[in-house]
Amino acid sequence: MERPAWLRLLTVVQLGIIGIVILAPLGWMVLSSFKSSQDVTAYPPSLIFAPTLDNYVHLLGTTPFIDYARNSLIVTIGSTVLGIVLGVPSAYVVSLTRISWPALLTLAARMAPGTLFLLPWYVMFRELGLIGSYWALILTHAVITMPIVIWVLLPSFDAIPRSVLEAAQVDGCGIIRSLWRIALPLVSAGLVVASILAFVFSWNYFLFALVLANSETKTLIAAAFNFVGEGSTDWGGLMAAATLIALPPLLLAAAVQRWLISGLTMGAVKG
Amino acid sequence: MASIRFQGVVKRFGTTEVIPPLDLVIEDHEFVVFVGPSGCGKSTLLRMIAGLETATAGELFIGERRVNSVPPAQRDISMVFQDYALYPHMTVRQNMAFGLEMRNLPRAEIAERVDRAARMLQLEALLDRRPKALSGGQRQRVAMGRAIVREPKVFLFDEPLSNLDAKLRGQVRAEIKALSQTLRTTMIFVTHDQVEAMTMADRLVVLEAGRIQQVGTPEAVYEQPANRFVAGFIGSPSMNFFPASLKDGVATLADGTRLALPGCVDHDAVTIGVRPETMLPVPAGSPGLVVGIDLVEPLGSDTLVHFRCAGTGYVARVPPETRPRPGDTLTLGIDPARVHLFDPDTGVTLRHR
Repeated sequence: MERPAWLRLLTVVQLGIIGIVILAPLGWMVLSSFKSSQDVTAYPPSLIFAPTLDNYVHLLGTTPFIDYARNSLIVTIGSTVLGIVLGVPSAYVVSLTRISWPALLTLAARMAPGTLFLLPWYVMFRELGLIGSYWALILTHAVITMPIVIWVLLPSFDAIPRSVLEAAQVDGCGIIRSLWRIALPLVSAGLVVASILAFVFSWNYFLFALVLANSETKTLIAAAFNFVGEGSTDWGGLMAAATLIALPPLLLAAAVQRWLISGLTMGAVKG
Repeated sequence: MASIRFQGVVKRFGTTEVIPPLDLVIEDHEFVVFVGPSGCGKSTLLRMIAGLETATAGELFIGERRVNSVPPAQRDISMVFQDYALYPHMTVRQNMAFGLEMRNLPRAEIAERVDRAARMLQLEALLDRRPKALSGGQRQRVAMGRAIVREPKVFLFDEPLSNLDAKLRGQVRAEIKALSQTLRTTMIFVTHDQVEAMTMADRLVVLEAGRIQQVGTPEAVYEQPANRFVAGFIGSPSMNFFPASLKDGVATLADGTRLALPGCVDHDAVTIGVRPETMLPVPAGSPGLVVGIDLVEPLGSDTLVHFRCAGTGYVARVPPETRPRPGDTLTLGIDPARVHLFDPDTGVTLRHR
């Protein structure tokens, strides 16, 4: 159906506003990372300036940025894998049994502010001697990743006809084999989406790393906090760090864009 | 190969009792059809045999083995589902081989069995396609192939023909029947279609509201229905039921028509059952039911005549050369020897034929 011109115009304006709101800070961040310290704080901010790599050189030269990046990767990949290992079977069982309260519970845990867990966890991990270890961060970040995996996969599992799973049972599958051989291949698009969302959320999670990590295991995002000093803030350095930190999730999302969209809308309409 | 035995099996969903205590024995090699209207519990019975539902009470045996708590994987049965339930991400070959892989058969034997089943069902050309690229009839065949390769003790069919068009349905019906004669395995087939039931079964199990109404060969169920429900459900078009009274061997219908039924016991109220194919046109003036024709449905081989009697609609199946027309008056003779009598309150058969 042909839509009236004013409606199309309105759509473009609306998308434009949303785009600006989302992209402007990103653009500012990237531009600022290439500015000298004078340009960064100039008011009004200038769009035309002499770009410099000083901030990046300084960042990589004076901070253990690569070490932090490794920490971030270890924690993020570890917690994403853990979230998948725990979340996939959980989502499958919730979908099969329709007993959904455990899934709701994980969602509630995800929605609660992180500070709520921080103190008890700090005490627990100290007793276990895990403060400053990767395990403390991987385990706590699984609280972020597992609910994502469960809730992204639930509609995908629900969309599999029950009779297909029953046929697998009759064909000789127990529940684990029916998950592994039949259900999981059928939700692969959803699994990719879940993994990426889990990766991004874990990568960007700030609070747990700030408290439970030490200087050896600190993640990038927590380390970037160091640039905000009490007296002065190295805005250029902070923006360079932020740009580098934002890169992996952006690249990931771009690489699997098509799956991302089809996976997110799957289950909404029957394919 | 195995017999199946239900002993006092009960199934409840929550507080709803879908199967009241039920006893039934299905013999080895038998082709049994569970037939009944939707919601009669026939699929639930089948799913209990498969192990996809568990009995709330009672005992279920496959062969001599009590299977109440045996998971479907270990029952050695195979099942064809109404929507075929093929694995969408596997090729036809993989679909058929899957159940054998799960049982750790050697690769060579799997390949051989799949090839044999594919030949039997003419699927050879489709082996490397995925279900999405198949027509409904082809998918149905793959579902059968997947069941056959397993060489199970019992085959279960859950309304496997209901998603096919009429022509294909007749063809596949014949194929399944031929298959049952080749394989000589116990087969249980669920359908709500009484034509399917009649044409395929060694024995019919007619169900209503979870209760077995009658068990018997198609001929026995057709000719000697146990009650009014079975009489009305089996046979197409359905049997005609006339309320009547019976005195001194003569029945009087609601419209005053008198019908000689020699040798029948007197009843104040009785239901007379007459199959449409046993009401044949006779010359006007002969004893019989004089009716005005409402509607005519020519089927080619014979013609269905719809008429009303004392306000209720009925059907007769007459030879095509009668050439009846709506509005005509027709006299239908009723052979007393082929009349069924039912108790109007309980529906129980009082007399056959």
